[in-house]
Amino acid sequence: MHQAGLRRSLKRNLNFWLILSIVAAAIVLLPLLAIFVSVFDEPNENWAHIREYMMLDYVLESVWLVLFTGTGTILLGASLAWLVAAYDFPLKSFFRWALMLPLAVPPYIAAFTYAAMLSYTGVVQKTLRSWGIVPNPKWFDIMSMPGAVFIFTLYLYPYVYMITRAFLERQSGSYVENARLLGRSPLSVFSSVVLPLSRPALAAGVALVAFEVLSDYGVANYYGIQTFTVAIFKTWFGMYDLDSATRLAAWFMTGIVAVIVLERLLRRNRRYSATTGRVSPLKAARLKGVSAWLAALYCGAVLVLAFALPVWQLVVWAGWTVKDVAATANFARLAVNTVKAAAMATLLIMILSVIVANTVRTIKHTLGIVLAKTLTVGYSIPGAIIAVGVLGLMTGLDRWLAPLYRALGLGQSPLVLSMSLAMLITAYVIRFIATGYNAVEAGYEKIGTKFTESSRILGLGMTRTFFKVELPLIRGSVIGGTILTFVEIVKELPLTMLLRPFNFDTLATKAYQYASDERIFQAAFPSLAVIAVGMVSILVFHQLGKRVES
Amino acid sequence: MGGSIKKAGFLLLTLLLALSVLAGCGAGSGSDGGSQSQSGISAAAGGGQSATGGDSGGSAGKEQVVNVYSARHYDVDAKLYEQFEQETGIKVNVIEGSANELIERIKREGESTEADLFITVDGGILSTAKKEGILQPVESAVIDSRVPERYRDPDNHWIGLLTRARIIAYSKDRVRPEELSTYEDLASEKWKGKVLVRSSTHLYNQSLVASLIAIEGEQKVEEWAKGIVANMARDPEGGDRDQAKAVVAGIGDVAIMNSYYVGHLSRSADPEERKVFEQIGVFFPNQQTTGTHINISGAGLVKHSKNKENAVKLIEFLTGKEAQTLLSAENFEFPVNSEAELPELLKSWGEFKAQEANWAALGEYNQLAVQIMNKAGWK
Amino acid sequence: MNFVEIRDLCFVYFSARTAVFDHLTFSMKKGEIVGILGESGSGKSTLLRLIAGLEMPTEGKIRINDRLVVDDKTFIPPEQRGVGMVFQDYALFPHLTVARNIEFGLHRLSRAERKARVREMIELVQLGGLEDRYPHELSGGQQQRVAVARALAPKPELLLMDEPFSNLDAALKASIREELRAILKKAGITCLFVSHDEQDVEAICDRAIRIKELVPADRG
Repeated sequence: MHQAGLRRSLKRNLNFWLILSIVAAAIVLLPLLAIFVSVFDEPNENWAHIREYMMLDYVLESVWLVLFTGTGTILLGASLAWLVAAYDFPLKSFFRWALMLPLAVPPYIAAFTYAAMLSYTGVVQKTLRSWGIVPNPKWFDIMSMPGAVFIFTLYLYPYVYMITRAFLERQSGSYVENARLLGRSPLSVFSSVVLPLSRPALAAGVALVAFEVLSDYGVANYYGIQTFTVAIFKTWFGMYDLDSATRLAAWFMTGIVAVIVLERLLRRNRRYSATTGRVSPLKAARLKGVSAWLAALYCGAVLVLAFALPVWQLVVWAGWTVKDVAATANFARLAVNTVKAAAMATLLIMILSVIVANTVRTIKHTLGIVLAKTLTVGYSIPGAIIAVGVLGLMTGLDRWLAPLYRALGLGQSPLVLSMSLAMLITAYVIRFIATGYNAVEAGYEKIGTKFTESSRILGLGMTRTFFKVELPLIRGSVIGGTILTFVEIVKELPLTMLLRPFNFDTLATKAYQYASDERIFQAAFPSLAVIAVGMVSILVFHQLGKRVES
Repeated sequence: MGGSIKKAGFLLLTLLLALSVLAGCGAGSGSDGGSQSQSGISAAAGGGQSATGGDSGGSAGKEQVVNVYSARHYDVDAKLYEQFEQETGIKVNVIEGSANELIERIKREGESTEADLFITVDGGILSTAKKEGILQPVESAVIDSRVPERYRDPDNHWIGLLTRARIIAYSKDRVRPEELSTYEDLASEKWKGKVLVRSSTHLYNQSLVASLIAIEGEQKVEEWAKGIVANMARDPEGGDRDQAKAVVAGIGDVAIMNSYYVGHLSRSADPEERKVFEQIGVFFPNQQTTGTHINISGAGLVKHSKNKENAVKLIEFLTGKEAQTLLSAENFEFPVNSEAELPELLKSWGEFKAQEANWAALGEYNQLAVQIMNKAGWK
Repeated sequence: MNFVEIRDLCFVYFSARTAVFDHLTFSMKKGEIVGILGESGSGKSTLLRLIAGLEMPTEGKIRINDRLVVDDKTFIPPEQRGVGMVFQDYALFPHLTVARNIEFGLHRLSRAERKARVREMIELVQLGGLEDRYPHELSGGQQQRVAVARALAPKPELLLMDEPFSNLDAALKASIREELRAILKKAGITCLFVSHDEQDVEAICDRAIRIKELVPADRG
């Protein structure tokens, strides 16, 4: 009976919206499939070399990096979330949103800034020497696994912080108050009540952290860590071996999918939901005396380390180089490129998100959920893998369309799609549509179905209902989603480096290139531009959050 | 429902149209969206801007141009292009990219390419470009007289502009220059825990190893690489300059690095870096044996260049005494033109014996070099 | 001749196993105001949604004014059914004024006709002077009247009302009930009214049915 239901449901809804949604999902899936298909080709001899000498390192280093960073972000993020949610102390309302600021700084920028600050000629050792202290330089060796973990923890903890804080503030009230009434010390309340209670929120936050770490190229490469993403780069550009790089991507993706499936299976046994309806707000307790100042100090220290210090250092360097870097037309061109690519991709993403979100809520069938999950899978797939897949797909398409190109007079076998801006934008869409989609979905959830239904009954079809009723009502969420997506794309590095068209640099890639060329001071200016854009998203977050709470 | 389908069709068409325009934009020019042509025959208008940011005026018409695809990104290059423009009135358009990106692009563009000159660092890459068939011989008596044969491709497909040496930087406090001799020696017991060098992923090291393979053979070099790894003071991290800093910091005693970085340290905006410069000595290895490894920057004349004369003029300019002197002074590389004046620092290093020129080997043995370093555990 | 005819209507929620109803049969004459009583969860709202086209039955047929609206092979989408509906919480568009809300379903009329109809509706429900207010500025009773006006404006063949009084207090209810019956009779609208409150149904409807009675005894 349900089969008939599905067929009827599809027939009833089979229109422009559904078709476009399926196309969108296909666009996301095809490149990933393209990677898997390549595994069936014959490997070349370089692959054997990689398998024997490098593979184990890649796996181990990727795993260690994720594990240690995960632990670090849980400790830092949860403790800060707890502090801010449960207590009042000087400057708490400032810290509450300011602790999100590290998200504005892409980790790779922090990586080379810190490396330079802590280097032998950097500000830290220099100052110590001027005070007559000769420190052992090995203490300042940040370009290592511990250093990378430090950077990632410091710049990705906001994911854990944000989700855990929201959870604690809204839903932990009764548990915590009970624990307090029973006379438990704050530390024991934290470890025996708060941590276990927040498990779903922590899990959600750590998942985001893990995806960021696995996707990263800048930090790992700069600090000499051999992660899978770095391996894909090295093999592709260093050894000119796209085939082996694709194989690496396939292995990498398998690993990630296995972990995701494992996590789902584990979660099925516990019916947690980070946002169960039950609302139990937590009232903050006032801290007094020493503990109040300690709390403020802790938060302040984190902010100084993660934000104030590196930004100040970048500003100093920018001051030294403003003449050579900023004034040139090159910088303007960088900015234009960055904005152009990000704007086009964001526009496409928001359009597709709206279409799919609307379709999913109309269909009321598992197909809808499948579409939604497929679309958002791109966020969990590291940028390098997406790059490899998209390139493979586009190259195949170009080959297939070659006769058409010839007919249009474009030459023998030109590569029109591959290495074009369209390819980069496609990859951006795949990677970041989840951000836009989640925002739109949340917006739709807030208005529910009644307005849409009223409009349909009053005689307007799906499309007109969208423009006259739904869009005006979800406008806030759409705008928020647009800004967040735009900023994510501006900050993006690995995917852009791999797929950018000829002579096309963004602020992010240029900053990293300067740093890699050992011209750190020149990297400051574009870095600050990226950070400035990132700060916009923090402000947006802040505003959206305020509106939700009021 | 009918109205919905109509709207659907319209929107779909618009999307497709937008995508194809994008594809066209991208294929034509990746830089600014100025010209939206469909094929690679976009006038150099869209092809890029000179580093000084002049307007991307078109080549269509009477304006003289030369289009340079360059994998060198040093500021001094931009200054010279500007000077060339002022002297000759020929506009220099520069497109930057990584070397293999540029070669790939020139190959792909085939006969309709915009490129006139391909400028890059590393002899291996230059010989690869020649092998890929994208270059043509440069015929100029002027150039031939200024640039010795060993700094040119045997068939003149590319002309060398500058060289750099991979030298050993050592701590003036802890090491006497008499203790140093060859690259091979660095793998011996006495340097255990004292050697600093950057990652094997960098082309500078790959070319060094490739050159050694050409001279000594795979087997010996494999052993040598293992020896170096065993002697490393720490896992490779950072760039060449960081190795020098690590020497001064006492992490190691000797570092393998490129000569021009020493020059940059001497003139850094950061006083701390200048202090580092003062504490390191520069040693040219293998003087008694096979010579210090050098690498070369060069310009290749693109096979299907549309502005051949202008391109040759630019090469002549860049190999002329003035330009060579300026390049050397600003970037601390060694000029190929013996009439150029050296900056003080380079003069102080004196003459040295360089490896015999075998640029093709750098390209030929690159993959093998990478594999050897991987096997040896050179990170 | 039955104006509305429903035969053997079956409906199951996608995730559920038991049917919400099984072979429900029911008919109405033109101009009738019929009330359906039932406990919450008995499927009365679902019945309205099925008639409106917001859900699809698993089996059964529905005809309105001799037009087949849904059966095994047919499904006419809600925007083409000519049915009007007043939701339990009114669902007035918060970003539109009262006048624009009422005008919403009149897109097929010319501008002049639209203005005329809106004026007519505002008079009918006695909302004069409130045309430019926004829904959140109105009282519960006023909102309900806007909802009714909006639903009636396009002159639907059938009006469905889902618990229209549940959000009003007792005193307001009594007076509105009378007004509503008068409005419906005056406009000659066929109306299907659903409620859990017997008094509401008695006051307005011509006849009342319990939803249980619509399903054959040996099932449901």
